[in-house]
Amino acid sequence: MAILDVRDLKSGYGKVDVLFGISFTLEAGESLGIVGPNGAGKSTLLKTIAGEITTKSGEVNLQGASITGNKPEDIVRLGLSLVPEGRQIFSGLTVTENLMLGLTGRRDKSSAKAAVEQVKSLFPVLNTHADYQAGMLSGGQQQQLAIARALVADPKVLLLDEPSLGLAPTVIADVFSKLREITASGTSVVIVEQRAHLVTAFANKTLILRAGKIQASLTPESAKDEEGLRRAYFGANS
Amino acid sequence: MNQKLLGLTRFKSEELLGPLATVILLSIGVGAISASLQLAVQFALCNMVMVLALQIFVGNSGVLSFGHGAFAMAGAWISGMSTASERVKGNALALQDLWEPLVGFKLNLYVSIIAGALVGALIAAITGAFLMRLNGLAAGIATFALLGFSYNFFFNNITFGPGSQALPAVPKFSGIYEPLALALLVIVIVYFFNISPTARSLRSSREDLLAAPALGVSIQRVRWIAFTISGALAGISGAMYVHVAGTWQVQDYYLVFTFITLAMLVIGGSASLWGAVVGTLVVTAVGQILLLWEQGKSVLGIQFDLPNGARSLIIAGSLVGILLWRFAGLTGGREFKIPKLTSSKSSRG
Amino acid sequence: MQPFLDAISLGGTYALAALGLGLVFGVMRLVNFAHAELITISAYVIVVTNDLPLIVSFGIAALTAALLAILTELTIYRRLRGTGPAIMLIASFGLSVGLQKSFELIFGALPRSAAVAPWMTGSSEIAGLNITVSSIVTVGLTVAILLAMGFLVEQTNLGLQLRAAATDFKTSRLLGVRSNRLIGSAFAISGILAAFVGFILVVENPQVDPMFGLNITILALVGIVIGGISSLRGAALGGFIVGFILSILNTFLGNARVYAYSYLFLAVVIILLVRPGGLLSKGNEMERV
Repeated sequence: MAILDVRDLKSGYGKVDVLFGISFTLEAGESLGIVGPNGAGKSTLLKTIAGEITTKSGEVNLQGASITGNKPEDIVRLGLSLVPEGRQIFSGLTVTENLMLGLTGRRDKSSAKAAVEQVKSLFPVLNTHADYQAGMLSGGQQQQLAIARALVADPKVLLLDEPSLGLAPTVIADVFSKLREITASGTSVVIVEQRAHLVTAFANKTLILRAGKIQASLTPESAKDEEGLRRAYFGANS
Repeated sequence: MNQKLLGLTRFKSEELLGPLATVILLSIGVGAISASLQLAVQFALCNMVMVLALQIFVGNSGVLSFGHGAFAMAGAWISGMSTASERVKGNALALQDLWEPLVGFKLNLYVSIIAGALVGALIAAITGAFLMRLNGLAAGIATFALLGFSYNFFFNNITFGPGSQALPAVPKFSGIYEPLALALLVIVIVYFFNISPTARSLRSSREDLLAAPALGVSIQRVRWIAFTISGALAGISGAMYVHVAGTWQVQDYYLVFTFITLAMLVIGGSASLWGAVVGTLVVTAVGQILLLWEQGKSVLGIQFDLPNGARSLIIAGSLVGILLWRFAGLTGGREFKIPKLTSSKSSRG
Repeated sequence: MQPFLDAISLGGTYALAALGLGLVFGVMRLVNFAHAELITISAYVIVVTNDLPLIVSFGIAALTAALLAILTELTIYRRLRGTGPAIMLIASFGLSVGLQKSFELIFGALPRSAAVAPWMTGSSEIAGLNITVSSIVTVGLTVAILLAMGFLVEQTNLGLQLRAAATDFKTSRLLGVRSNRLIGSAFAISGILAAFVGFILVVENPQVDPMFGLNITILALVGIVIGGISSLRGAALGGFIVGFILSILNTFLGNARVYAYSYLFLAVVIILLVRPGGLLSKGNEMERV
């Protein structure tokens, strides 16, 4: 059974429709990339799945159970976490306090301490900067904090909205290698990125989203076909 | 039609004539029914001018003001003080400590109303210079300080006014035509301000606080302009009030006045001139009916026994109710529009 | 010494009022005028139950205020979430007036009165100085509550969630913070704080009428603007300053004491001229409200 099953999802903002029927599945331990031009609806898709935006129609199922229309705070507890665009860490709170907040959505509170230790070993900067105000961390460090914060809730599915935004190439490589470790440990990951190449080599499967619809589905091999990629990305006429 | 541009961008005669005609017809019509209703109409016209004053500032900028009562207080004060009979000013008990020059201070009635507008504008200009530096919410709360200051000053000061007592013997308007003329004038002023570039710039800041400066709009400046004009109109409202009531009393321009005029604006719809007019008319009408019921009288054959004080409760409840149901107000922020009798399925804009 | 103590005690009282307002503002961007009525209802309850032991009387008042606060949230404010601070402000204004009129219908327009906590009147000799009992008790009480609140906000999980929600409500929900419960908690706590304020005020002035809590609420709101509208610490500080200045003015103005409010507002204006974002802000920030 797929761990995440999205069927014919439609959503938008008020009267403006953005997604026109998205369907895909994600298996346990799998990594999925979602790329596409600006305004394609990539962020909207993640926010809809995570409950931040209301679904207009369609279904989202997590481990077979429907989470369509659930509130974000409930979806987290069911095992799906979103690392939002721009990281959105609480800059006025310390690194530790940010992590503590992440525990709010954790189902099994008894293993909370172990979970915190685990993310600290995955992201050592959280240990060294534990009492720093989160706003004083660099962009890359904040991204690591944001991911760690989502991880301590013990998600089975982790959604990331443009994790590479504003980061230098070496930092991005570092973040992605950490993400590889995360998928290796069994967490399924969905990554939205504007820069397709970052994700196509990383993910088991990459979807190309344009104008609210899925145009193509790629594997790391088929992604090497530049011409086909461009066609899917920008449309057959470009 | 662009949903968001809830403002006028060019002159549409029906948008101005509609409110004018409505106000004229209702004022004359209702005022002719009885003497007490005529008085109610006069007070309603004063309130309407205040609601219009609020509309050009609050409606365009999105910044709330609880301080306009201060401008009304000041405008009323100068208009009342300069037209009250000299004999009374020199002899009344409440005015025994009055500053000498004020006793002989005399202005023609209409000049005194203009003076009221100027005083309102002056105070608004000065206070607005720093109030408009604050962000919207803080400015709104700070205007409360302005109202409080004004009240505290006038309430306790017996050198420049009667303090907590009433200033008697202020000449009254002879009927509804004077306040009506003033109200119509203010409607015209408000209409043309609302379609002006200044108001348009101001509305752009209401929609998106961060984008407006990028368009070259100095938010503080346009807010200040609107606030000052708004202060002038509020001053007129106070000056009108004092000549309807025949007396100046500081409590008349304080919390109840502030509440009722804001309620009128919100219930009618703060984004448009028509909203201000509709709000005033509806709340006045409802208030009158409730008042009659409170007094045990029947309205058009219907009678309710309302306990005293229930009237304000109902109006307050209506205010909250409107916000829950339709927070853009009864008019939805739209201007007056003659409903098209020919088209059957008009697009619900 | 007494004037200083009076100033601290009034400052502390206003700080509590401002804190109650700040809590709700933090989680909802709501300026709650109806907070005044939470203070008023607490005072009414204390006066009406005066024959019961003080603790019980206060407990009922706190419970009533908390319940009223939660009720207003459930019935009105919840439906206005997301409509913007201006709409919510006006709604709270309307609610405030509506509640005032309701009190008038229930309790009557004439003030209700009772001698609350008579052991707090009078003065005693402490360290050779003649000090009123009420000022000492008030200072002690407000300091204790402010410390307790500080502990709640800084050291507990609930406080952490409140602080996070005040910064970024949306992201807090993504992390699992239960929005409805959190907002309900904020309202309930604000009700309890209002009850403390009501108690302190009614001991000083046992005449309770429907507009009892109005004055302090308006001034506390002004205080929040001075202190910095976006932080709880700022709110408490701003409230304290307003109360402190008011008390000093009252004591030292002599005959001009009636103008205390005018001078206060003038002081507020000056502070805002120098620091438009509030005292605890970093200079000239425009809050993204």
